[in-house]
Amino acid sequence: MPDPQIVSVGLSPVGRTDLTGRDLFSVALAEAFEELPDPAEVVEALYVGNQSERYEHQIMTGTLLAEWAGLQDVPAERVEGCAAAGAMALRHAVEDVRTGRHDAVLAAGVEKMTAGGTGGATTSLSAAFDRALEQRSGITAPSQYALLARRYMHEHGVTERDLAEIAVKNHANGAKNPRAQFQKEVDLDTVLESDYVAPPFKLFDCAPVGDGGAAVLVTTDELATDLVDDPTVSVSGAAAAAHNIAVANRNLTFPEGAAATAERAYAQAGVGPTDVDVAEVHDAFTVCEALLSEAAGFAPRGRGIECALPPGERSEGWTDVHLSTSGGLKARGHPIGATGLAQAVEAYEQLTGRAGDRQVDGAETAFLLNEGGVADAVTVTHVLEA
Amino acid sequence: MSGKPSPLGPDDITSDSPFTLPGFFDALGEGRLLGAACADCGETLVPPRPACSACGSRSVSVEEQPRTGRVVSYTAVHTPPPAFVEEAPYTVAIVELDSGARVTGRLEADYEDVAIDDPVELTVREPDEALRERSLSYETDWPLHVFEPR
Repeated sequence: MPDPQIVSVGLSPVGRTDLTGRDLFSVALAEAFEELPDPAEVVEALYVGNQSERYEHQIMTGTLLAEWAGLQDVPAERVEGCAAAGAMALRHAVEDVRTGRHDAVLAAGVEKMTAGGTGGATTSLSAAFDRALEQRSGITAPSQYALLARRYMHEHGVTERDLAEIAVKNHANGAKNPRAQFQKEVDLDTVLESDYVAPPFKLFDCAPVGDGGAAVLVTTDELATDLVDDPTVSVSGAAAAAHNIAVANRNLTFPEGAAATAERAYAQAGVGPTDVDVAEVHDAFTVCEALLSEAAGFAPRGRGIECALPPGERSEGWTDVHLSTSGGLKARGHPIGATGLAQAVEAYEQLTGRAGDRQVDGAETAFLLNEGGVADAVTVTHVLEA
Repeated sequence: MSGKPSPLGPDDITSDSPFTLPGFFDALGEGRLLGAACADCGETLVPPRPACSACGSRSVSVEEQPRTGRVVSYTAVHTPPPAFVEEAPYTVAIVELDSGARVTGRLEADYEDVAIDDPVELTVREPDEALRERSLSYETDWPLHVFEPR
């Protein structure tokens, strides 16, 4: 069976840009194919992660981006799972290669979130919640996650200051990432004194709205050696699971769907959480990194909040994983449909020694966790190995 | 043979059945909050649906839910979608009803006055002009559930 490899990656600037969705894709594709033959000579299928046609009034994203890449008459389709769409595209590419359906598949993700301002993004994102009871009540993405945070604080004695430490850590990581939307550190007071969005969350607990495009080329190990001389990254585990849509019917303090999805990817890869050197988890809001550290098996139950501390300073039972070295969704940015692939870009750079000032020495195994809807409404996980 | 309900057939799924949203909101408009009770695992889910997401069983029956419950978690929306801006900030909560079913909804109380485990009661409101305006064509007469402190 082929061993799927990430051969090259590309990521557009993330944030408020003057480019449209297709242009953001063009930037990412140009980077990914700088050292490669034309996409038409390599790519057999395309998947596009994209949250919403509401931003640009455009569907048919598979056809559009295939055309912009010079691909003709290949299978090309959009996948949708709110903020998990990017990793969904990656998983389809990986599974197509692993099962022998195709030798080379392009996973892309794109979102032009700033098109309708913050109000437009708020409305578009609210479509991820149950129309019947949640949307009618005026629920928003920050308030959904705030419901998790408030309960987590209640059960584990966590404070708003503890949550703020996560934002401070991820901004410090983002300051070292030339790809990050926010390449600057923030201090605790800045986070704590920012305006409430949905208590306990303040502005600096929340990932920003931003545009972005990403492209990741997945091929068989055999084709990878033909295409590039440099080492590639093996995708040894991939899993996805839909849990349920309404947050009320969820375990609020332990994301069970995320935990099951993590276990499946570890099992496929034949590794465990203690083997993971670097991880990008879905820190759309500060509390997410704590919850997902527990779901991914990095932290003992109830101790996920120590994710803000460096490895070695956390309590017994924690692994030595380095979390959100890119700056995470919080600082690297969160262009919804591209986010899961931006996570893969960071893992690729860490595992190939390209991560510059934020390089984790000897990083050999990476774990990615991308979510859509509120928390683990849907989860996609990947294990990548050098 | 057990006395468990059989899976719904195609003819059972009509707009006057509470297993559909039109049927659920019709009942809510009459003051009855309905859920689906699973005969296999005991889970209760609101709104009713043809299968239990906890155990997968399709042996489910409609049960009227109690109006009283307690706050499991809560927050306030300070940055609403534009269609809700006149109402912000507003408090929302996850409430566990006395049956064990959980429902998210508005809580008519100031955020500062709410605490986890507070007792609350479900009320049902006729749709006001603002709610009608942001409704889809088939939703305009659907009522809104709102929790109140008790």
